[in-house]
Amino acid sequence: MADENLSRRRFFNLVGWGSMLAFFGGVGGAAAKFFYPGVLYEPRSTFNAGKPEEYVAPSGKEKVVVDERWKKNQRVWILRNDKGIYGLVGVCTHLGCTPNWFPSEGLFKCPCHGSIFNVEGEPIGGPAPEPLYRPKISLAPDGSMIVTTGLLGIRRANLQAVKKYADVYFHDDEKAYITQPPYFLPLKA
Amino acid sequence: MSEHHHQKKTPAQKTFELLSALLTDNPIYKSIFRTGYPSTLLKQMAVMRSSFYMHIFPTKVGEHGLRLRYSWCMGGITFFLFLLLALTGILLMFYYVPEEHRAFNDMKDLRFMVPFGVILRNMHRWAAHAMVLAVMLHMMRVFYTGSYKAPRQLNWVVGVLLLLFTLLLSFTGYLLPWDQLGFWAVTVGTNMASASPLVGYEGPFHELLGVQVDNDIRFAIIGGTRIGPNALVRAYVWHCVGIPLVATLLMVFHFWRIRKDGFSGPL
Repeated sequence: MADENLSRRRFFNLVGWGSMLAFFGGVGGAAAKFFYPGVLYEPRSTFNAGKPEEYVAPSGKEKVVVDERWKKNQRVWILRNDKGIYGLVGVCTHLGCTPNWFPSEGLFKCPCHGSIFNVEGEPIGGPAPEPLYRPKISLAPDGSMIVTTGLLGIRRANLQAVKKYADVYFHDDEKAYITQPPYFLPLKA
Repeated sequence: MSEHHHQKKTPAQKTFELLSALLTDNPIYKSIFRTGYPSTLLKQMAVMRSSFYMHIFPTKVGEHGLRLRYSWCMGGITFFLFLLLALTGILLMFYYVPEEHRAFNDMKDLRFMVPFGVILRNMHRWAAHAMVLAVMLHMMRVFYTGSYKAPRQLNWVVGVLLLLFTLLLSFTGYLLPWDQLGFWAVTVGTNMASASPLVGYEGPFHELLGVQVDNDIRFAIIGGTRIGPNALVRAYVWHCVGIPLVATLLMVFHFWRIRKDGFSGPL
């Protein structure tokens, strides 16, 4: 060793403590890694939701029909209005409970802390800080709808563009974005 | 006294001495109790010091330490409730299986089909509520009597950790009945973890580490992206093994510090 300050004793001291640190660091890292499962047995975040015709169109005074068939397994509502079909992810943006749909009031209400969302998913009451997420909807070659939630699919409203005034939550830019594919499936009336 | 020694022993005395010699003059008794009958204060202190079972207690307790007027020895009540919870919890484990299709039904069976199951489950449930309350009352007594001050600062810190582990025991136990109340409470509670800085997918700076919903701290806690079978088993293992083990070690240290520091005053 050319360095005079590093004696043999000090060198072996450093090597000894260093390898001990590396060993226990490795053990700690492995223990932490252990708690991250490599495979999940959860419902797929992409699923086939059937043909658009299977979803009832609004009639009379109704503006939108909320279909709850995928709520239990996929936590997604499929909504049909007079222009087309869109989805809402049934995870409250406050702390993740599933809101309930109240057809008579036309509102989603979360049982946990009372957040209220309208049929656009806008939070019009309670502690929820942002609108319900929207899944991607695309058409398969056979004409059925492929709905994608999770990391690959959901549209989270651009909060920078959000202005909350009166009952309107979405900014015009965001509104333009979510009324087009892939977050909206236009249908001929 | 000397005249007394010369008196002849009655048959009853002789029998008593013979029986006590039979009981105490053998290796088994001596290996457990070490000292003979503790007739003097010194010998009484030696009993406490030399016996494994007794050594956790102080050799002497001041009279002020026996007055329970402030909170009825609420720390002791907390420990008693912990023992009760361990006992009833182990009995519940004979019937309860933490599996998504069984958990709720097993809980219902415990209430309606298992002999004395309803008493068992309710003892566990109410003792758990009472333990949280008792810990708080105990801490209030310690606070208002100034017992957290030197030289007992370290034991106060250990006590705060024990409060944390008591609450974690309550939280993990909440999910186990697998009912709507516990399910959504734990959904909400674990979602809060996702707001942690750096390691939670909705927390500040999470993007620096590439943390997202399937690799953040909440994912490690519940073993998935939503409360499901993995979360149930994890809650069960932490509730029945992990947390009680750590809490027991902390309690051993807590009681040992009380023994070393002495009682601060009436409990």
